[in-house]
Amino acid sequence: MTSIGIDAPRVDGPAKVTGQATYTADIVLPGMLHAKVLRSTLPHARLVRIDVSAAERELGVITLTRDDLAGIDPYYGAVLKDQPVVAIDRVLFAGDVVAVVAAESRDIAEEALDLIEVEYEALPSVGDPFAAQAPGAPILHAERNTPEVQFLDMKSVHFQADSNVCSIYHVAQGDFEAGYAAADHKFDDVYTVPTIQHGHMEPHASTAYWEPGGKLVVHTATQNPSVIRTQLAEMFSLPESMVRVIVPYLGGGYGAKTYPKLEPIVAVLSRKAKRPVSLVLTREEVFMTAVRHAASVRIRTGINNDGQIVARKVEATYDTGAYADIGPRTCKNGGYASGGPYRIEHQDLTSYCVYTNRPPSGAFRGFGVPQVCWPYESQMDDMARRLGVDPVALRRQNLIHEGDTFVTGDKLIAIGLDKCLEEVASAIGWKGIESTRPMPSDKPGFVRGIGIAVMIKSTMTPSNSAASVRLNSDGSATLLTSSVEMGQGPHTALAQIVAETIGLPLNRVTITFPDTDFTPYDQSTSSSRTIFSMGHAAQKAGLQIRDQLLEIAAKQLEASPGDLQIEEGIIAVKGSPDRSLTIPQAFRAHFGTPVGSLFGAFDFQTTGGLRPEDGKGKASAFWFLSAAGAEVEVDTRTGKIRVIKAVTVVDTGKTINPRQCWLQNEGSMLTALGSALQEEMVFDNGQPVNSSFLDYLMPSMEDYPDEFQSMLVETPHPEGPFGAKGMGEAALGPVAPAIGNAVSNALGGIRLRDLPLRPERVLDAIDAAAASGAAASGAAASGAAGAGNGGEAAR
Amino acid sequence: MKRLISTTINGRERELAVAPNRTLLEVLREDLQLTGAVEGCGVGQCGSCTVLVDGRPVSSCLTLATNVEGRSVTTIEGVAPAGQLSAVQQAFINRQAFQCGFCTPGMIMAVEGLLRDEPGAGEAQIRDYLSGNLCRCGTYSAVIDAVKDVIAEVGAARDRASAG
Repeated sequence: MTSIGIDAPRVDGPAKVTGQATYTADIVLPGMLHAKVLRSTLPHARLVRIDVSAAERELGVITLTRDDLAGIDPYYGAVLKDQPVVAIDRVLFAGDVVAVVAAESRDIAEEALDLIEVEYEALPSVGDPFAAQAPGAPILHAERNTPEVQFLDMKSVHFQADSNVCSIYHVAQGDFEAGYAAADHKFDDVYTVPTIQHGHMEPHASTAYWEPGGKLVVHTATQNPSVIRTQLAEMFSLPESMVRVIVPYLGGGYGAKTYPKLEPIVAVLSRKAKRPVSLVLTREEVFMTAVRHAASVRIRTGINNDGQIVARKVEATYDTGAYADIGPRTCKNGGYASGGPYRIEHQDLTSYCVYTNRPPSGAFRGFGVPQVCWPYESQMDDMARRLGVDPVALRRQNLIHEGDTFVTGDKLIAIGLDKCLEEVASAIGWKGIESTRPMPSDKPGFVRGIGIAVMIKSTMTPSNSAASVRLNSDGSATLLTSSVEMGQGPHTALAQIVAETIGLPLNRVTITFPDTDFTPYDQSTSSSRTIFSMGHAAQKAGLQIRDQLLEIAAKQLEASPGDLQIEEGIIAVKGSPDRSLTIPQAFRAHFGTPVGSLFGAFDFQTTGGLRPEDGKGKASAFWFLSAAGAEVEVDTRTGKIRVIKAVTVVDTGKTINPRQCWLQNEGSMLTALGSALQEEMVFDNGQPVNSSFLDYLMPSMEDYPDEFQSMLVETPHPEGPFGAKGMGEAALGPVAPAIGNAVSNALGGIRLRDLPLRPERVLDAIDAAAASGAAASGAAASGAAGAGNGGEAAR
Repeated sequence: MKRLISTTINGRERELAVAPNRTLLEVLREDLQLTGAVEGCGVGQCGSCTVLVDGRPVSSCLTLATNVEGRSVTTIEGVAPAGQLSAVQQAFINRQAFQCGFCTPGMIMAVEGLLRDEPGAGEAQIRDYLSGNLCRCGTYSAVIDAVKDVIAEVGAARDRASAG
């Protein structure tokens, strides 16, 4: 293979290093107005009165309020249509959209916001999923408007009306109660992760206008143009062909730009204004627009003296915020993955997706899994310590393998997790049980430790991706695809797949940007599905062109198609390079003149879905497997943790572009490192208080570990192009527990269960351990005794 | 009330009429169509809008346009002649020191400042100098490598010159 498995230079390099790459906010249209949003100041309130007359009169701006929604379906949402374009009767979080103004300039729009009068009647609010489920809690959404779902996997989710529990997912096997009762050791712990930010550097941005013929055109920073088209078509009762969604480069997404965000606002407002309307969020607004689910996870595990895990029950409660967005799926996928990549006879896994008066939680790189990987991989090390065994060996003993049946009923294939585990142990310098003890630091007051963790995750299933390839008479090819280039490199990697498939030089393949008038349907650029799904479609489309070329050339060269090869754009008889045709010559032979096009097109649908009655079936077209290792240094005087070294290992199936995979893993590692040590959105009475990069600390170059290694193993998948699976999110999940385990090992077994591992929490844990008699200095590190808050049957 | 200012943008003298409350970033992007500098946070905390003013990296979102009166501004569009790449840009391509690319122009401009202020910087100085330029995709290792490449190349060229 010439184009696969190579560090092909990225096709977007020159545009990006010269500042020429176009992002949505760079697009300026004639007559374009600039929009600003008036946001709720209260977490929950009835909207009594809203008066925009002063703003309109004094500044001549166009406004959008609940009075402008006649004739459309004002509600949108990926799963449930529960989010209005602007608030109708109530606001449900501080930051909810109350009104929008469009003006000649942002300054005027900003000024106009001050002239809008709003009268609220404050209502009691709920700040977390447990308060939301308390008796007498205000109900945020009484109904569950479940339209004809585009997403077949949602059938296994149980929606709860008249409750703040939006939905529940449950799956089980065996008999947890019996298995747990009979187990030699029982562990019962609660772990939490807070609300965090995606941190994409490009704020959300959308621009819309209406053509005279009634077509709605939207330029937008979205990860799923096809879904946006459907949602807007439904909102305005338009044929999908009358909605055109165009997506330029995205300045990062990580899930925050999936499903409708600003598109409904600019579509409705531009309809009223009869001019293009652009809305670009401020960073503070980004913090209110999409967040990662906070979660509280109770995990009970029974394990025998011989190291066999026999029973596990997980109740994962996710804070989905004020609107459902894609939360019900996030929680479902986190739910069935919450038992971890282990053979456990008795399992009972439930996830709760709960509404609160907080910003809407949605897709976030890792999609519900980091919230449950943190508990099960932390508890794994606690169990090893209790049993006095090596945690790597304990994982090895319990790990799932090729051909196993997962708790969902999936027959597991292309499972290289054992290789990931061995690679990570080797790379981090794991030396067996000795590595669970504190390592000395040459700095007084500091201790070091290493830790590892593993993970399993699914991809969106079933799902569709269609690709169309056009070969031009000069031998250049265009892949028409709705996959979004948001930094993860599909423009380069898909070109590699098409070039390899047809037999073209890599630089002869061009990838389009999504434009739903021309590029075929793609479910989403998310769930690490692009290489697997769009890559599969592109490969099949390319093969159709290859077959046509071979047929044309076979006649000309008087050979059987099977005896021909295509390399670097030359069609030749194998072993007889002098009997060959260039692609222009093949076109001339076919069309009589070197003009025209050859076409290939393919729509790839993965099959699967889960049954409503038991949550089982086929959860995933392929499975992500990964491992992470960390070496940390803890300052026991200040509680500050520094990650010295981080390692990630991902099973790619087949690596298309190793350099890009490295960078994807580096990104996953860095985001997870931030979530482990420092990132948390803080609310005070429902108000977000740290919505800036000064107060919300994402890792900078100074936080980057001294050393990072990204390693790849390849367990080919039969449906993936050249065996490739998705990998973009894979490294994220295990990093935080690897860091947590390293900290625990550095501190002689002290376990912290709440992220982030802020210095004061570390100090508190050290103090608590000292007070309860288990020393942090290493006395508890023999593996025989549980440390202060490490816990057998802690509750 | 607009003010007329004279300034040099990417080597070209310009007379600009700007309102006193407009930032340099707004003027670059909206009046001059220089859209390489981008707004990531608007308050000087992410580095995506970094440009050079008299050779020093500044956050153009925090700099009032009137403050560049009589000064020289260099943006990503001006670091190399049209159709060519600067040594830093080429090193970023060689190391693939970008993913989504949104932070990249600001990162490159900060590197230009680093090379001027600390031409022999080691890794610790590189990390310190660039710590105000956030990237969420995961390119820090590649940026560090790219900067080391440029520093090594400049050093080698100097050695060659002094040897000759």
